Amino acid sequence: MKLCGFQWLVASSVLLVALVASADTRPQYGGTLQVSVREALTSLDPTDTTQPDSFARRNLIPLIFETLVTTDDSGHIRPLLATSWRPLNGNQRWQFRMRSGVKFSDGATLTPGIAAASLRLANSSWKIVSDGDSIIIECDVLCSHLPEELALLCNAIVKKADDGKLNGTGPFHIADWQSGKKLVLSAEENYWAGRPFLDAIEIEFGKGYREQLVSLEMGKSDLIEISAEQSHRISTASHRSSTSEPLELLALAFTRDAQSPEEKSLREALALSIERASIGNVILQGAGKPAASILPDWISGYAFAFSTETDLTRARHLRDEVRTASPWTIAYDPADPLAGLLAERIALNARDAGLQLQPTKSAVADLRVVRIPLLSDPVMALAKVAASVGLPPSQIDSNSAEALYSAERELLATQKLIPLFHLPVVYAATPALQDWSPRLDGMWNLADTWLARNPSGSINP
Amino acid sequence: MAGPQPLGEHQSLNFRRKLLAVFTLTVVLSVAGVALLVSAMTRRAFARNEDERSAALRAQFQREFDAQGKEIARRLEAVATSDPVAHMAALLNHSSSESAGYFDLAKSLAENYELDFLEFVDANGTIVSSAQWPAKFGYPETAFANLTPFAGQPSFLKQEELQDTSVLGLFAVRATRIPDHPLYVIGGRRLDKNFLATLNLPDTRVLLYQNQPDNRSAESLIDPSSIDPSKAAHTTDKLIPLINATREARAEMTAIIHWSSDAADDEMFHAIPLRGKVNSQPLLGILLIGNSRRSYVELERRIRASALLVGGGGIVLAILLSSWAAARVTRPVERLAQAAQEVAAGNWSARVAVEGNDELSQLADSFNRMTAELLNQKERLLQAERVAAWRELARRLAHELKNPLFPLQLTVENLLRARQNSPEQFDEVFRESSATLLAEISNLKAIIGRFSEFSKMPQPQLQPTDMNELLRGIAQLFRAQLQAPGRKPIESILDLDENLRQVPADPDLLHRALSNLVLNAMDAMPEGGTLTLRTRKKEDSIVIEIADTGSGLTPEECERIFTPYYTSKQHGTGLGLAIVQSVVSDHNGTITVHSEPGKGTRFVIGLPGNPEPSRPADAQQARVIDSGAK
Repeated sequence: MKLCGFQWLVASSVLLVALVASADTRPQYGGTLQVSVREALTSLDPTDTTQPDSFARRNLIPLIFETLVTTDDSGHIRPLLATSWRPLNGNQRWQFRMRSGVKFSDGATLTPGIAAASLRLANSSWKIVSDGDSIIIECDVLCSHLPEELALLCNAIVKKADDGKLNGTGPFHIADWQSGKKLVLSAEENYWAGRPFLDAIEIEFGKGYREQLVSLEMGKSDLIEISAEQSHRISTASHRSSTSEPLELLALAFTRDAQSPEEKSLREALALSIERASIGNVILQGAGKPAASILPDWISGYAFAFSTETDLTRARHLRDEVRTASPWTIAYDPADPLAGLLAERIALNARDAGLQLQPTKSAVADLRVVRIPLLSDPVMALAKVAASVGLPPSQIDSNSAEALYSAERELLATQKLIPLFHLPVVYAATPALQDWSPRLDGMWNLADTWLARNPSGSINP
Repeated sequence: MAGPQPLGEHQSLNFRRKLLAVFTLTVVLSVAGVALLVSAMTRRAFARNEDERSAALRAQFQREFDAQGKEIARRLEAVATSDPVAHMAALLNHSSSESAGYFDLAKSLAENYELDFLEFVDANGTIVSSAQWPAKFGYPETAFANLTPFAGQPSFLKQEELQDTSVLGLFAVRATRIPDHPLYVIGGRRLDKNFLATLNLPDTRVLLYQNQPDNRSAESLIDPSSIDPSKAAHTTDKLIPLINATREARAEMTAIIHWSSDAADDEMFHAIPLRGKVNSQPLLGILLIGNSRRSYVELERRIRASALLVGGGGIVLAILLSSWAAARVTRPVERLAQAAQEVAAGNWSARVAVEGNDELSQLADSFNRMTAELLNQKERLLQAERVAAWRELARRLAHELKNPLFPLQLTVENLLRARQNSPEQFDEVFRESSATLLAEISNLKAIIGRFSEFSKMPQPQLQPTDMNELLRGIAQLFRAQLQAPGRKPIESILDLDENLRQVPADPDLLHRALSNLVLNAMDAMPEGGTLTLRTRKKEDSIVIEIADTGSGLTPEECERIFTPYYTSKQHGTGLGLAIVQSVVSDHNGTITVHSEPGKGTRFVIGLPGNPEPSRPADAQQARVIDSGAK
């Protein structure tokens, strides 16, 4: 009997452990996810084009507002609020069939008319009409990349209430909004794709990298951003870090077009004088890939064709060909510690080539150190980069690599932009955050993540 | 007596003032001299004290500076032996390519060890990490060859190049204890406001000028006490001359800087050139140690104020004492002068009180004796003159009386002789003799009458009188006599100033006096000539001239011509001109005579425009002046 009882005891214990282990891996509802980001968002309106693009904005806005289509981490278009789409009459007119049963956070049902009205606000040049369960979009020119464009955040469907409150169809709705400081999102119980596991997400804005790290270490944050150059210092024993593909272009952007061939020579001399390898190894601690192209290799596939080697001899030669070179000022974001150091190093490199660069925190300068978040879609990415430096988007008629390469070459030939590095976006999360794995394009998927309970039963450790 | 008195007072006051001025000047100069002497001695003492204080300050600054250098060296040593650096040095000793991970180590260690500059330089002179210029990793340290010999040595000054400027710092060099490939730790502190503030120098302020040849802006001058840029620029402008002089001389210089018009704001600045380890190098900077002169200036002002106060009081006291002393000295002199003036005015009895036995007392005694003697002599002279006058009077009287008496005697004797010798003719003789006797007796009566008339000159009855009219009347009166047949004609000329106004005078007396002068002129021109009657105005008086072209007078005659009973004529009584003088004198006027023998005589009468009533003293004064005129 004793032996039999003992066997039962062992069998029960094994079953209990197995059940507990099973419970740990099964998604759990509830909990509030604490997130810290460096960006200080001042607007949640996705159609507000005055807001700078950032990964925080890209990750947070889709939690509230959704677009007709979206892109996966490979850049492919996937349905979201639209279930299907097709071009009509060539590539100038498109039909999008809307998903049914989708409701806004205020309880209103998403209709093609509301979607068309929202899109019209964001795109005044398009003719958008609702047609039954579909909307018809007609561009003024050929728009073969309209689905990719509709996947952009600015084309999210927004329903504005009379009191100015913004309503979306996303898995979360706005519970509390303190501009530039804090955002609290609550789970949308009637989300069309099913209620998210998390009850709420609290996002604190304007937290520096160091502050975020301290907050993570102290258990006050579950998900934080990590500067790329600091990513190697994150303790992987107590946290999970995630590094995306290079998604951010670190570059020098001139504020005006080159006025003369001599100025073009000087800009080329500057580009040739920059020691990308040394900067990458030391300042970026190997986290960034030296870049002379706009698009990283994983998006375009031809980035290797752009040489990142320093050619000081040629740089000096180009400089010497120009009789006089007035000093340039190079501005950087004082909140970005990397940018300041980078500006100083580039000024030092430029001095070796005979150019004078004066780093400044002033908003007015000849050139700036810029970070441009890229999109996984190469065409959209190029268009976005062109827009960020004040250039018109390149017309790319086909999706061929040659056409893309030509467009990028053409963009770089304007010499308004000197690519420096392609940087990944790095996040660190507490181990309690489950089913969270950022995509290649750095996008979170917080609607499907959940917080594991600790042994005491509370969700957040 | 009233007129001459102010003259005498003025003279005595001048003398007193001169004496007072001499005394006062002596005291003022003495006080000023003492004040200057005290001021100079004070200044010299302060300058000596200032030099000593400056020397002490410089010594203290040097001590503080050395202490800061030792502290920097100590911190560098601590950095060089710290675990991160030792770990980095060991790693780099094996592979220099591992340096990338340490590029920001210098910055964090510099913050920990409170250093402004910190660089890790490998054995090849390549910067591994730089706190002051983080972007300079991988670049060679330009001063590496010069710096490595100072590893382990005391601190030194060095100009550190930064991104957009160069700054002065106190540096030290240390090397890690890895012999093959040592890692050099080069660091220090910037000579900025904070550094200067750590120099514990009492009552001074320390400024630093960084010697940047192309940059002399306010940024080159570090002033811990200044936060206002405009004030910093003002400070730089004021100090630039001293800075330039120090740069050229490359030696310590001293200057007083005037910050404002108030001398109390001045500061004594000592400029100390700062050199690197090699003296031939350009000056790295100039240390300016400012020392306020407020205490000195205020003390000098107090001394000056005290000197002025004491000097002023001394001067006032000196003036009072000088005034008393001058009065004491001048009072006898004044009395002497006054007495002399009285004597000059005719008061021969004036005396001076004799006090004491000094020279002035002897002088006063001599003056008294002199006036007494003069008075005696005058009395004797007057007596002699009186006797002479009586004699002259007796002679004249005898002469005048003798002339009629002789005919009287002859007539009486003739009568006696006729009665005795020719009784028949006695009646006729008696009748003739009686006539003669009566004539001579009448003559005697006339003589006695004139003498009586002279003794009874009436006082003038003043009334507004037109002198021109008076002279015209006289000319008219004598016109017939001037042109009388039987004598040589005399031309009469009236030269009258028609602008004369009437003067108060007695026209009858003046008529008699002027007529007398005209008669004298006629007597002087028996051969004819020209008689000129002239009037003219002279200041507040009028002048009447009676001139002839007659025989003239000798100087001796001129002197005595107004003396009573003196006459130059054969039949004159000698009273005419005496009467004229008496009339003029009674009008407070003057009469003078100007004559040369053979050329004529000119009598000049001056009458006051508004004569006061005649007084005896005035008359006497007039006589005195007349006497002088003679």
